[in-house]
Amino acid sequence: MTIKTGDQESPEDSTSRADPKPSVKSPPPPETPAAVQTRFRVIAAFWAVIIFLGFPIWWKTTSIYRASLPIEEMVDWAGGKPFWQACRPVFPLDIHLATPSMQSADAQHLLRTTQHTLDDLNEFAAHHLRLKLANDSASDYGEGDLGADASGEVADTALTVRLLPQENLLGPRSELHAAATQLDVFYPPNQVPAPSSWNSPLSTYIAEELQGLYGEEKATIAHILHTAGLASTSPQLAEDISRRLRRSMKYAETYHLSFSLFTPGSRPSSWDIEAAVNEYVSPLLKALSPISDFTVDTQVQLYANFAPTAPKPEFDESEAAWTLKKEDLSAFVNAAEWPLNPSIGSGPTINFILYVPEPSQSPLIVKENRASSWIVPQWGGVFLLNPTLSNDKTGESNPAHLSQDSLGPAFMTFSHQLLTLLGTPSTPASLPLRLQTSIRVRAATLLLSASSTMGSLASLTESLPSIPIPATVATSVSTTLSHLSSTCSHLREGRFGAALASARVAETEAERSFFEKSMVGQVYFPDEHKVAVYLPLLGPIGVPLVVGLLKEIKRIIAGRKAKRAAAS
Amino acid sequence: MTTFSLYSLPLVALILSLWSSIVIASPDYHENLQLHPLPQSSLLASFNFRSNTSQESFDQQHFRYLPRALGQILQHASTKELHLRFTTGRWDAESWGSRPWNGSKEGGTGVELWAWIDAPNDDEAFAKWITLTQSLSGLFCASLNFVDSTRTTRPVVSFEPFGDHSEVDQLHLLHGTLPGEVVCTENLTPFLKLLPCKGKAGISSLFDGHKLFDAAWQSMSVDIQPVCSPDGDCVVQIEQTVDMVLDIDRSKRSRSNPIPRPVPNDQLVCDTSKPYHSDDTCYPLEKTNDKAWSLTEVFGRTINGICPLAEVEGSGEQSVCLHVPHERGVFITEGAEEIKKDDGFTRCFNLASSGSFDLSIPKQLVNLEVPLDEPVLHAERTIVGNGQERGGMRIMFGNPSNISAVDFIYFETLPWFLRPYIHTLHATITGRDGISRELPASEIVKETYYRPAIDRERGTQLELSLSVPAASTVTLTYDFEKAILRYTEYPPDANRGFNVAPAVIRIVDNVHHAPIYLRSTSLLLQLPVPDFSMPYNVIILTSTVIALAFGTIFNILVRRVVSLDQASALGATTLKGRILSKVVAIRDRFRGKATKVE
Repeated sequence: MTIKTGDQESPEDSTSRADPKPSVKSPPPPETPAAVQTRFRVIAAFWAVIIFLGFPIWWKTTSIYRASLPIEEMVDWAGGKPFWQACRPVFPLDIHLATPSMQSADAQHLLRTTQHTLDDLNEFAAHHLRLKLANDSASDYGEGDLGADASGEVADTALTVRLLPQENLLGPRSELHAAATQLDVFYPPNQVPAPSSWNSPLSTYIAEELQGLYGEEKATIAHILHTAGLASTSPQLAEDISRRLRRSMKYAETYHLSFSLFTPGSRPSSWDIEAAVNEYVSPLLKALSPISDFTVDTQVQLYANFAPTAPKPEFDESEAAWTLKKEDLSAFVNAAEWPLNPSIGSGPTINFILYVPEPSQSPLIVKENRASSWIVPQWGGVFLLNPTLSNDKTGESNPAHLSQDSLGPAFMTFSHQLLTLLGTPSTPASLPLRLQTSIRVRAATLLLSASSTMGSLASLTESLPSIPIPATVATSVSTTLSHLSSTCSHLREGRFGAALASARVAETEAERSFFEKSMVGQVYFPDEHKVAVYLPLLGPIGVPLVVGLLKEIKRIIAGRKAKRAAAS
Repeated sequence: MTTFSLYSLPLVALILSLWSSIVIASPDYHENLQLHPLPQSSLLASFNFRSNTSQESFDQQHFRYLPRALGQILQHASTKELHLRFTTGRWDAESWGSRPWNGSKEGGTGVELWAWIDAPNDDEAFAKWITLTQSLSGLFCASLNFVDSTRTTRPVVSFEPFGDHSEVDQLHLLHGTLPGEVVCTENLTPFLKLLPCKGKAGISSLFDGHKLFDAAWQSMSVDIQPVCSPDGDCVVQIEQTVDMVLDIDRSKRSRSNPIPRPVPNDQLVCDTSKPYHSDDTCYPLEKTNDKAWSLTEVFGRTINGICPLAEVEGSGEQSVCLHVPHERGVFITEGAEEIKKDDGFTRCFNLASSGSFDLSIPKQLVNLEVPLDEPVLHAERTIVGNGQERGGMRIMFGNPSNISAVDFIYFETLPWFLRPYIHTLHATITGRDGISRELPASEIVKETYYRPAIDRERGTQLELSLSVPAASTVTLTYDFEKAILRYTEYPPDANRGFNVAPAVIRIVDNVHHAPIYLRSTSLLLQLPVPDFSMPYNVIILTSTVIALAFGTIFNILVRRVVSLDQASALGATTLKGRILSKVVAIRDRFRGKATKVE
């Protein structure tokens, strides 16, 4: 323990050294234990302040708040195998069998045999049909309530099958109501299955009919849940389903529908839009209202030219029309110049464009299939309207006003495109049934997307330890998880409307937690910068403290050794 | 038709007479261009585009003339009336006379926005105002999102709604300015997109960003307001105007070689009556108004037909009008038709529905000049004083009239870091004789509305109701203090200074019942600016001082004090000590040699 005056020498030193007379060099007396003790205490006191005061303050002031998240549960929900541990989505559909003119026992028997046949036919266990006898067979018509108010404990009725005897029939025949969830089956009275037989033509017929009705829905849900393809699904159907899912918009509570009339010239400059919307769009939106809300706005835009880089239409002699190539359709919409900005407010905008070509380029069609409309996936639809040209003194020109009649085909196409963009299946023929199907498909999609968001959030927070996690994220995550499980239980019990409502909440909260603004905030000063600024303080203070500590430790070890040596 | 009575001064009297003859409901789109040569070879071009949309289709979001983006913003922010202005340059009232549209279509330098918002209380109105500014900011590519609470005021008497509003609406007027905003092409492009003909047909095809923003003064405005007819039919009216004063000589420069060159000697117009006039000395004459020009030369383009939406058969409405004396010759493109008005100075043109239109005026000496309106009031505002701590504001109002006094409202928004002392408000009046005398401010200022600033929350709002007697100039002065900002509050390039928004003057004209607006120029306020490397210097300096103090104390506490002899003896026993003694020995030997040589 020697600290001495070092290599700097005072002038007296050098003079004294220059002096040939040798000085008497005697080592200083050993330090008193009291002095050693004091030095030890001083160093210990400094280090105590650093460890017990400095470090906690530094830790407290620089640490990032990270609320604890139920990471394991979140990962459980995220896709793949563990997903099935948290929730196994099932879709039991309640189908009521109304048998107004049948004996109760007969009806029970028919029900059992049909259910049996159905179960035999079904190859996708998650989606199955449950037959029930209607309680009051006379009054239960299954008026197509789409499950919007199905928050009660009773499962939604997916379909009512009415069995009606009819004379002079060779075999059973069925009729699907286009505007209600009802299937009428007419059968010859002699085909009621005998109590002994387990297989009757009537029950087989009903089972096959139902299987056919829900075939596409089953395939869609199987596709969404990434189950291996069903054997009965034709490749054509599978292709259709995946194409529709790719095209359809992400689910939202509100969609803004924007109908725009674009024309490169100055005519037509007005259209009967109010009447057209009331006639063709409003009824459809009313039917869709349990799934989402819609707002409608329209605009007229003149002098809307193609983008300069877009390929120009070419004249096709054989068709006697101007044609656009199929691969050029993606460049048709001039996004830079046409005012197609999304509507204000939450929710995506679906754009429908009615394009009236210049008289010099009319009629305009798509080259490959002579079509006049197409869907832009996840964005909207385009319709090319070629009105009858009127001749006046300046040559051919478009009509100045588009009447409701001329808008008819366009708006029929738009409503069809809207259904496609919303992901509604193409079968069966009954619209309420298709909407019900779309509720189930939406619920499955949302369930999957919210759980995969949870998984992404979990892996994000684990891979980036420096991002803060505010308490609101933790709240959102727990809301999401609870709603996910309630979605799952609603699905299990067949309450699809309630399941969709829960899934909506789960999805919203999941998105909110994932896109929390304060999580992506970057630290303005990097750590290196801070260290560089504070180095003038940390360096001069740190070095003596560390050296002092090391020397003290050395002394203590030496002292121990000496003691041990003395003892031995 | 109260709205239209605004434009009742002679410059626009013609338009008024045309407009008032038209029923509001039809047709729904109008456009109009007034060309007005001004002294000193300037040309004022006033573009006006106006369209109506029925309140019903506006509520149902069926947009035809009203741009959908703008309409949705208004609905989203419950804005009932909106006025947006983009202005650059300065209107030279001394040579150009009174302002176009009586100043009601122009704003202060930069961007100015005011709107009447329907909201149940002040807080909600402000929240909607923020929504409005953010959305408009995106739509017009302007920094309107920087209009925060410090730049927002609620004027009490300076503005009044132009539109007809229903009684049930709880309207809140909010006003914001961005004096530092540079208006440029990126603001013109969205402005043109709002027009039904998109700058591709009609008079809007004359717009060219290069020329428009090269003007000595230009102002773009968007006004949206509900207009109701007496029988209760309401329409939402959108009016867009662009006014610009172009220098004809400057605009005629060739585009490929725009560098200004000195006029050759033989083309100089000199005052030959000067005694010193000779071959090498010249007193240039004032620019004359007999310059030859054409639309192509001045705007770089021709008018591309007419916008068919504005086409009205037989309404007698012309979209292009030129104000030059009738004796002056004007050549126009074939197919167009010239109509001379009775006032002797106005001629309008009926354009062919397609094909380009150009008009050119040959060089011609004309004795008659188009009379200019004298402005009702001259106003000027400057910052006086020196030093970094205090300053003063001086506002001069000149009344050119010899008979009547001018009553007006002076509205000023000051940033919070400029702290005015209102008790120092003094007035000086100067007559035509040049003798000025002090008088108490209360004799000039009839009413005051003053809302003091709160640091970092809101600016000062000052509204004064003043009266300036005939043939005199009133100077108002007050002192202010400059606040010191926080380190992070300084913008980049803080040494440039801080913009103070232009003052707005509203002249209450009792004869016409239409206000005349005047705006002063914006000011540049120099604030004390710190050395921005200061925080780092402070950190490093304090760190060093602390480290020094700590090192000394720590060493005194920890080190052992021994005598020098003892130290060297102690040193000899350690490795370091031995090395040191060797070094000392070697040095001694060198020293020894050196002494020997000596």
